[in-house]
Amino acid sequence: MNAFRGAVVNRLGLVLIVLKKELLDGGRDRRSILSLLFSAMIAPVLFGVMFTVIAERRRNADEIRLPVAGAEHAPMFVEWLRQQTGVEVVPAPADAEQAVRDRDHDVVMIIDKDFAQNMARAIPAKVVLVSDGTRESARPKVARVRSLVATYSSQTGALRLIARGIAPSIATALRIEDVEVSSLQQRLAMQLNILPLLLVIAALTGGLQIAIDSTAGERERGSLEPLLLNPIPREALAAGKWLAASLFGCGAVVFSMVLTVNVMRRVPWHDLGIRFRVSDAELMSLLALILPLAFLLSAIVMFASTFARSFKEAQSYLGMLMLVPMVPGIVSTLYPLSQRPWLAPVPIVGQYALAADVLGGQPPSIWSYAMAGASALAFALLLALTTARLLRRESIIFGR
Amino acid sequence: MIHVERLYKRFGTVEAVRGVTFRADDGLVTGLLGPNGAGKTTALRMLSGLMRPDEGAIRVDGIDVVTDPLAAQTQMGLLPDSRGLYPRLTPREHIRYFGRLHGLNGSALEERATGLLVRLGLESVADRRVGGFSQGERTKVALARALVHQPRNVILDEPTNGLDVMSTRAMRSLIRSLRQDGCCVLFSSHIMQEVSALCDHIVVIAQGTVVADGTPDELRRRTGRSDLEDAFVALAGLETEVSL
Repeated sequence: MNAFRGAVVNRLGLVLIVLKKELLDGGRDRRSILSLLFSAMIAPVLFGVMFTVIAERRRNADEIRLPVAGAEHAPMFVEWLRQQTGVEVVPAPADAEQAVRDRDHDVVMIIDKDFAQNMARAIPAKVVLVSDGTRESARPKVARVRSLVATYSSQTGALRLIARGIAPSIATALRIEDVEVSSLQQRLAMQLNILPLLLVIAALTGGLQIAIDSTAGERERGSLEPLLLNPIPREALAAGKWLAASLFGCGAVVFSMVLTVNVMRRVPWHDLGIRFRVSDAELMSLLALILPLAFLLSAIVMFASTFARSFKEAQSYLGMLMLVPMVPGIVSTLYPLSQRPWLAPVPIVGQYALAADVLGGQPPSIWSYAMAGASALAFALLLALTTARLLRRESIIFGR
Repeated sequence: MIHVERLYKRFGTVEAVRGVTFRADDGLVTGLLGPNGAGKTTALRMLSGLMRPDEGAIRVDGIDVVTDPLAAQTQMGLLPDSRGLYPRLTPREHIRYFGRLHGLNGSALEERATGLLVRLGLESVADRRVGGFSQGERTKVALARALVHQPRNVILDEPTNGLDVMSTRAMRSLIRSLRQDGCCVLFSSHIMQEVSALCDHIVVIAQGTVVADGTPDELRRRTGRSDLEDAFVALAGLETEVSL
């Protein structure tokens, strides 16, 4: 007899049936796949561009092709410049200012025709540096040239004093000693603080499409009522849909992470003489933090979208809701929430706090991970069950 | 067999269904006839277990729909008012999904799916996504997934709505073959021809209550009209409304 066949099939089996259907359906939805791919690309692309720019600038400052006009007026100075590491002296263009304006050169040096004469008479000899102050990227190079000139000037001055029997130190009243407390490594790590935010966005947008499609979309198409005519507990139905959206979110996070790790590996840190490398293990441990959030964010989206009668209505609700996971993320990039393990059980905020510790090189304890994950999953489950209750409401089943 | 007793449903101040009572027997086609807004769809929604009546009892093959809707749903195949499909799935995948939700699987499910696709004339489009289907094809897919678990009680809400002549004929022959199989078929309609062509038993609903209940012949006799449509108009109290 098939009298209670529906009741005999266990609930887990039903969850899997719904999950499989939603994955099949979502996998065929170009919008779902595109939103997954797109959200996964944000972090790697951003880091790729950011680190390439940083590396490029540093390389620029280290290796300078310096156009010098009037080199014949100061053969010794130019020879000295040539001997400095990474400096290549090249002939200057006819119109130096135009060349800089046209961005053919970052900086052009013009040596005054009276250079040798003034040098001989110990009158300050003029060196003109043509540069464009609005060009951010040219600044390290200009600064390097300026410091080369200053070095030559003070060396020559010191020799002059010695020649006159005066200790060179007498001409130096003050001496600045720079103490930079942040290493370049740390400053680069600062840039990485945005990574958790980007991963959370991936977790949210990766599953967004399928979460809306399987709730508001189901109502809009008029397929919810026929679906609910099947003898399936609402909890199993909601769970299947929730897991499908969550898996898409997880997919986006993992994909994003794999790409980011690959991008980081390709940045030529060693060529640049920078000892900077967040280990793969550290990056991967971010996964342990963010993946449970994919389940929570999908549950939030699903809950909100169930109230919507159409895809568009759902999107208008979610515009606001998107801010929920983003605001703590943006705040945490400005004021890292590091060293606050008690935040761990607060969903979303806790993940950002622990992620800051991971990136700060102070890995949180396994308990913090467990707490953060368990709390996010508990809230997610609660929301999924609440969504299941919504699916009993007549206004939601029939309201079109 | 479907038993509906003293069913009430109120939406705000509107009493959509007011004490509807009827029964639909196995091996018979029962028509729920009434003008638009009479409460047919509301009654069927309560019958499906998705809407809770304010009062009254519904039993399907002896199972109480109000207290145990899931068990009752295993006994019913419903073509509801809304027939939304999943545009990215094929008819076969629709049937499979609903079949699995009813606990079918493996070769039994595949055979059942193929059988339904053939019976409904969907073989040629069985593995094409339903996104671009015609209204007739969509209705057939919706029907196929409602029948996948071989329900003994088949409930159809305005099944020929939006169908062309050929599809309407196919629907009628399907309803007849379900009756032959001994199923209890209950369908709602506002189209007289349909009801008179198919029904063994007619329940006329107007303004939320049953105004008449019987075989087509009984209804004609009771109203003294030879034409069933005239009988219906008289029973539903529509004449007075028109003259107002």
